[in-house]
Amino acid sequence: MMPTLRVQGVHKAFGGIVVADDINLDIDKGEILGLIGPNGAGKTSLFNLISGVVRPDAGEIYLEGKPITGQPLYRRARSGVARTWQNMMLFSSMTVLENLLIAPRHYPGESMADLVLGWGRVAAAEAAARERALTILERLDLGHAASLQVTDLPFGHQKLVGLARALMNDGALLLLDEPMAGVEGAAYETMQRAVREEAASGRAVCVVEHNVSFIKDLCNSAVFMSYGRILETGSVDKLLASKTLTDLYFGV
Amino acid sequence: MEYILTMGVLISIFVILASSYNLVIGYGGLASVAHPIFYALGAYGASLLAIHTGIPAPLAIVFGGLVAVVASVLLALSALRVSGDYLLIASLGFQLGILQVIKNFEFTGGAGGLSAIPTTITGPLRTPLFLLICLSCAVATVWLVSSIVHGPYGRAITAMRDEELAFSALGRNAMSIKVVVFAIGCGIAGIAGGLYAFYFQYVSPEQYEVLQSAAILTMVVLGGMGTTWGPVVGAILLIAVPQGITFLNLPPSVMAPLQGIIFTTLVLIFLFVRPAGLVGNIGKTKSAQDQKALPEAAGKGGAP
Repeated sequence: MMPTLRVQGVHKAFGGIVVADDINLDIDKGEILGLIGPNGAGKTSLFNLISGVVRPDAGEIYLEGKPITGQPLYRRARSGVARTWQNMMLFSSMTVLENLLIAPRHYPGESMADLVLGWGRVAAAEAAARERALTILERLDLGHAASLQVTDLPFGHQKLVGLARALMNDGALLLLDEPMAGVEGAAYETMQRAVREEAASGRAVCVVEHNVSFIKDLCNSAVFMSYGRILETGSVDKLLASKTLTDLYFGV
Repeated sequence: MEYILTMGVLISIFVILASSYNLVIGYGGLASVAHPIFYALGAYGASLLAIHTGIPAPLAIVFGGLVAVVASVLLALSALRVSGDYLLIASLGFQLGILQVIKNFEFTGGAGGLSAIPTTITGPLRTPLFLLICLSCAVATVWLVSSIVHGPYGRAITAMRDEELAFSALGRNAMSIKVVVFAIGCGIAGIAGGLYAFYFQYVSPEQYEVLQSAAILTMVVLGGMGTTWGPVVGAILLIAVPQGITFLNLPPSVMAPLQGIIFTTLVLIFLFVRPAGLVGNIGKTKSAQDQKALPEAAGKGGAP
C-alpha cells in the first residue's frame, strides 16, 4: 500500500543552486509531518515541487499511488494537492467568501460551455460551494467575516482565510507553508485545532514551520532539511536533541 | 437627420468595440493593443465572403466574427504561453503585420481599401434600420460582458488577475480563461467590423492603424476601465465631442489639430483627476461607503 504522498529521488537545481537534492519522503494518511530547517533549506521549494509550481529535474512524485509529476499546477490541485502560501496570496480585491468560492477542486462555473449549456449544474455547484465555504469559515471561527473584504481582516484572520481557502479542496494532501508566522492568540488555537482535525479526517498533512512548539505539539514526526537535502528524519524531540541540527538551525 | 442617425450607428459600433476591449484589458487584464485588427478581420472577412459568395449579410457578419476568434486564439496561444507582458508586444506586431498583409494583397483592395460591398437594406428606412440593428448589438454586447464578469466566471477572472499563481494552485486553468476571454472580446470586435462594413460599404486599412488602438483604449480609460458603463460613456463622448466641434465652423487648419489637442488634453486631465475614469468614480464612492460600514459589521460579528 502506497502512502498518500511519496516523493522519490526528486532533484531540482536553479542554475548552480540545488534546492532539492535526492529528496525521498513519504507521508501517510492521517499523518502530520513537520518540515524544519534554516531559511533557504529548500522547504518551500519542496512544496513548490510537490504542488507543481516547478517541475523537478529528476525523480517522481506519487499521490495515492498515482504519479503526478507530469501534471501542471492546476491539475495537481484537482488531483488533490491543497496548499497554502507563506505570504498567503489571497485574492485581495474580493471578500472572504469569494476567496473560498474560487477554490473547490472541480467547478463548472469556470467553463464557458457549462455556463451556457448547464445553468442548472452551475447553480447547484455554486450553492454547494457556498454551503461548504460557510461551514469551513464557521469551523475556523470566521463565520462573521464571510462578507468582509479580505484585506480588512487582521493578519491572523487572513492566515486563517488562507487555510480555509485550501480546505475547500478536499484532496488527500494538505501542504501548509508557515501557517503560524505572525499568528497568535485565539487564531493560533483555531489554526492548531483545524490542522489536527484535517489529519484526523484522513488527510496527509505537511507543515513548514519555524514555530518549534507548534511542530512539537502537532507533528508525529519531522524532517530536517538543509541546503536542499534531508539530513534527518524522526520524532521532533529527537531532531531537536541533535546538536549538529540545532547548530545548523540557529546558525551557531 | 441622416447625419445624426449615422452618428448613432458609429457610436453603437464603438460602444461594441470599447465594451469588448474592456472585457479583454479591463477585466481580463490582458494587455493587448490589437483590438482594431480584430475589428478589421471581421470587416474584411464579412465583406470578402459577401462579395465572393453573395451570402446574406447576417451570416457574413457571423463569419467575420469567427475569423476574428480564430485569429485571436492563434495570437493568444503563442503570446500568452510565454508570459502576459509579451502580449503587448506580440499584439502590436500582429496588428502591424496583418495590416501590411491587407495593404499588399490585391483581393483585399490593397491600400486603397475595399469597396463594392453588397447592399443589404435599401430604401428610406435603411439608416434607421441599421441604427436599430447596431444599437441592439451594442446593448447585447454590454449585457453579455456584464453577465460574464458578474457571474462565477467573472469571479474567476478577478481572482486570476489578483494572484495568478494561487489561482492556478487551486485547480483553476488560468491559460484557458485568458484564451476564452480574449477570444470572446476579439470575436465581438469582429462582429462590429462586419456591421461597419455593411453600413458604410467601404473599408480601408488606415481605419485599423495603431491610432485606432489609442482611440479605443482612450474610450475605455476615460469612461472607466473594468466598469460596465465606462466604455459606453467613453465611446459616446469620444465620438460625439470631435464631431460636435465640426459645427463650430472653424477653418480646417485649426480644426484638425484641435481634435487631437482635445483628445490628448482629456486623457491627461483624466489621468490626473479621475484615474478610475468617469464611471469608475461611482464604484469608488460605493467602496468608501462599504469601508465606513465596516467597523459596525465587524463589531456585530463578535470576533473571537
